[in-house]
Amino acid sequence: MENNFDSSNQRKLNCSDASKCFKLLESILDGQADLESKAVLDEKLAKCQPCFEHFHLEKAIREVLRTKCTKQLVPLELVDSIRQKIQDLK
Amino acid sequence: MSEVQRKKYSDKDKNSIFDQEFMPHIDSMYNFAYRLTFDEDDAKDLVQDTYLKAYRFINSFEKGTNAKAWLFRILKNSFINEYRKKSKQPSKVDYQEVETYYNSDNVDYNMTSDLRVDAVKDMLGDEISNALNSLAVDFRTVIILCDLEGFTYEEMAKILDIPIGTVRSRLHRARNLLKEKLKAYAQNMGYDTEEE
Ligand SMILES: [Zn+2]
Repeated sequence: MENNFDSSNQRKLNCSDASKCFKLLESILDGQADLESKAVLDEKLAKCQPCFEHFHLEKAIREVLRTKCTKQLVPLELVDSIRQKIQDLK
Repeated sequence: MSEVQRKKYSDKDKNSIFDQEFMPHIDSMYNFAYRLTFDEDDAKDLVQDTYLKAYRFINSFEKGTNAKAWLFRILKNSFINEYRKKSKQPSKVDYQEVETYYNSDNVDYNMTSDLRVDAVKDMLGDEISNALNSLAVDFRTVIILCDLEGFTYEEMAKILDIPIGTVRSRLHRARNLLKEKLKAYAQNMGYDTEEE
């Protein structure tokens, strides 16, 4: 059985509490966790293969969403139209 | 973010708040509106209505506070009240069903995905966008707010009028659904999605 990650030899292959771990990992990626949790994260990434993989997949998904998701250009006339309507309100 | 009138701004103050605190968010507002309606004209109307409401209720906005979250909340409420009925999106029918299904805070975090990091990183913007757009509106919304717009769970809870626990679980489910879509794209691209 081959694995992509060289360092995975030192990680355990089963997570003892994936439910709790993944919830924590996702909170950290969403910027919701404190420094204490980040210390816990470092330990998990070093020691647990499922946590390691879950973290990097979730991180990659957030990155592509943030950087690659196609943005619509605001129609030029929209700003003028809004300002005109506000003028009419006054 | 309540609708209670707290302030009595002068016209000069109103204009300065509108120009300096509201208008800078128009790009984000339009993108949100477009991803909700999938229609340029509907998106324009939705953004325009939102800005008119924001101006009309400007006295309930505290100068210097979180204008972006305040505006997003108005836009989302306008969408629910006025646009969802006539919107062309396919997911509107199963909204109730979906709502009862995911409105619990109990989420199974054990679900693993065989989607690979490399496959995700190679995706094109259009593929990501299409996958996102294919999610039901409430799942799509939390991903837009969190990942595209960078709102915190607390801000999202206020924008959506739901508890933080529900934000967290809805977001988790939304991302799992997104992963399924991305996995389908990855398979089409010829990526090996199996672990072994
Ligand atoms: Zn673990």
